[in-house]
Amino acid sequence: MVFQEKFQEKKVEADGFKLRCWEAGQGRPVVMLDSTGWRGTILHDALAEKYHVFSLELPGMGDSSANTVSQQMGDLAATSAKAAAALTTERYTLIGTSFEANVAIWQAVQNPDQVEALILVSPTAIQPKEAPPGATAQDVHKMMFAHSENADGHAALSSEVFAKESELARRLGSDAESKLGDIHCPTLAVFGQEDRLVSPEAARVYREKIPNCNIALVYDAGHCIIGDRPEALLNTVIDYAEHWETFIIGHQTGLINP
Amino acid sequence: MKASMFAAMGYSQRATFPATWPVAPVHADPATSVRSYREGMEECELAEDMGFDWLSFSEHHYSGRIPTGTPSVIASAVAERCKRITIALLGHLLPLNNPVRVAEELALLDNLTNGRLVAGFLRGTPNEDQVYTMNPAEGRGRLLEGMDLILKALTEPQPFSWEGRYYQFRTVAVWPRPVQQPTPPVIVGTRSDDTIRYAAEHRLGLGVSFLPVEQTAAITDKYRAWCEEAGWTPGPDNIVYRGSVYVAETDELAQEWFEGLQQSKPGPNIPMRRTVSEAINAARAGNAFDLRGVVAGSPEGDVVGNSLGINFLGGPDTVAKQIKEFHDRCGVGVIDMPFQQNKVDHEAVLKEIELFGRAVIPQLREF
Repeated sequence: MVFQEKFQEKKVEADGFKLRCWEAGQGRPVVMLDSTGWRGTILHDALAEKYHVFSLELPGMGDSSANTVSQQMGDLAATSAKAAAALTTERYTLIGTSFEANVAIWQAVQNPDQVEALILVSPTAIQPKEAPPGATAQDVHKMMFAHSENADGHAALSSEVFAKESELARRLGSDAESKLGDIHCPTLAVFGQEDRLVSPEAARVYREKIPNCNIALVYDAGHCIIGDRPEALLNTVIDYAEHWETFIIGHQTGLINP
Repeated sequence: MKASMFAAMGYSQRATFPATWPVAPVHADPATSVRSYREGMEECELAEDMGFDWLSFSEHHYSGRIPTGTPSVIASAVAERCKRITIALLGHLLPLNNPVRVAEELALLDNLTNGRLVAGFLRGTPNEDQVYTMNPAEGRGRLLEGMDLILKALTEPQPFSWEGRYYQFRTVAVWPRPVQQPTPPVIVGTRSDDTIRYAAEHRLGLGVSFLPVEQTAAITDKYRAWCEEAGWTPGPDNIVYRGSVYVAETDELAQEWFEGLQQSKPGPNIPMRRTVSEAINAARAGNAFDLRGVVAGSPEGDVVGNSLGINFLGGPDTVAKQIKEFHDRCGVGVIDMPFQQNKVDHEAVLKEIELFGRAVIPQLREF
């Protein structure tokens, strides 16, 4: 697999945790807070072609041990920021997906000297829809995609990881919305038009509350945009990482026959 | 039931066109064009005076039969003359157009008419896939995405970027917002299951054109069932049927006109070279096309196309009964009719509109 060949796994210490990190590429640093199962995609490969990429597994997520230490979202964000600071001394672009996007919001607010641009992919800070009572990891997995065949192509969380992450999310709460007005770096919030876990209507709130925010809607994609429309997400994120708010300017030629 | 006149705005000398599509612009005399549009607007004014509920306009290209390639231009001109009637754009051919531009036109028209607009989304007939050199295989995908984007552009209060399969816009912020909130009523003109389902799931109306009543019912039955699945029941204004009409004082006079029309052998409605027609249909279906096989089997210049019959023909009572069948069997609440037919000049169209308004519309009001 390209990701495994290109990215080197390492550990980084912060707040007594040993976080797993996957590193690749050269250039300006990009720190990615990836949701479990959304790592190792064409987005990571493409970013590593241009940037020095660090993909972090936050304490309590994925294969890490249960996180019983962090009591608030700000605590987990502080741990993430310390880990990032240990990985790079430069200012970095921070990318967070789904629940981890909430952590990224706090991290950007708490560390304006570190985070130079913020990209939120399917953030759940606003109007997260409740999964049906008793929903299993498999049920939630299916809800993440606009097309069931895409769900079949991605592994669902194990029931143990699902329970561990759900418990952490419940404990930390989702009050990232109150912090949106305090984000002062260029920010992009990306939503799938067919997201069944977070209403894409919430996108406008990010635009309203964050001083320098663009919102991007990915057609025919669910919550897991990288699973439904990987090329569309890749192009959007790469363009924004490169150009920030000037990514709205078109550079593709319309010239057919010079 | 409501009555709508499809304002075709036909070139008055359309009976002289050669049997080809597109019709070469050399056949368009500017003075005749100016007169033709003026006559078309007079027909619209009379329709409003005679109690019609809607005037409809459609995007069609490269012929004088329905020379309204930019329907919002003609609709806005008519809306300034006709101050009360509903202006129905039925509609834009979405695969050919920039959806954001369509949203802007719809929003502007809804403001100019102070909320009298009905919008329509269509894929278009196969010949129109040629108009802006669109790949026919992409028509359905462009229609589905275009509808999503237009609805978003009309309703989203904040600037956004759109990352689509066929469309990418990094800044969309449509001004003005529509007068009718959240959007003007929308009719999706279609016979295809995926688009019928889209209309049902998005609580949009359905438009069906020129099919016989049973075929129309098969479509409207699906639509109504899928609306129920989606948790709503379409109202009368949600199902529109477009059918051609010729109404005369008596059944005999109408039949006499029709027989004269048949004897004149009017030819296909959209005559196209066979090679081009078959190539478009193959491309729409994603099939390979063997040009040489078609050429070998048909003489050079062979032209194909469908002849449209007359859906509603007769005296006022007969036509009202024929329309009622669509109402009763298909749930049609708005009947949309082009009165400009072959062998019917402007003066005759005016007489028909007057007769329809006087003797048919009162009967439509009963059901």
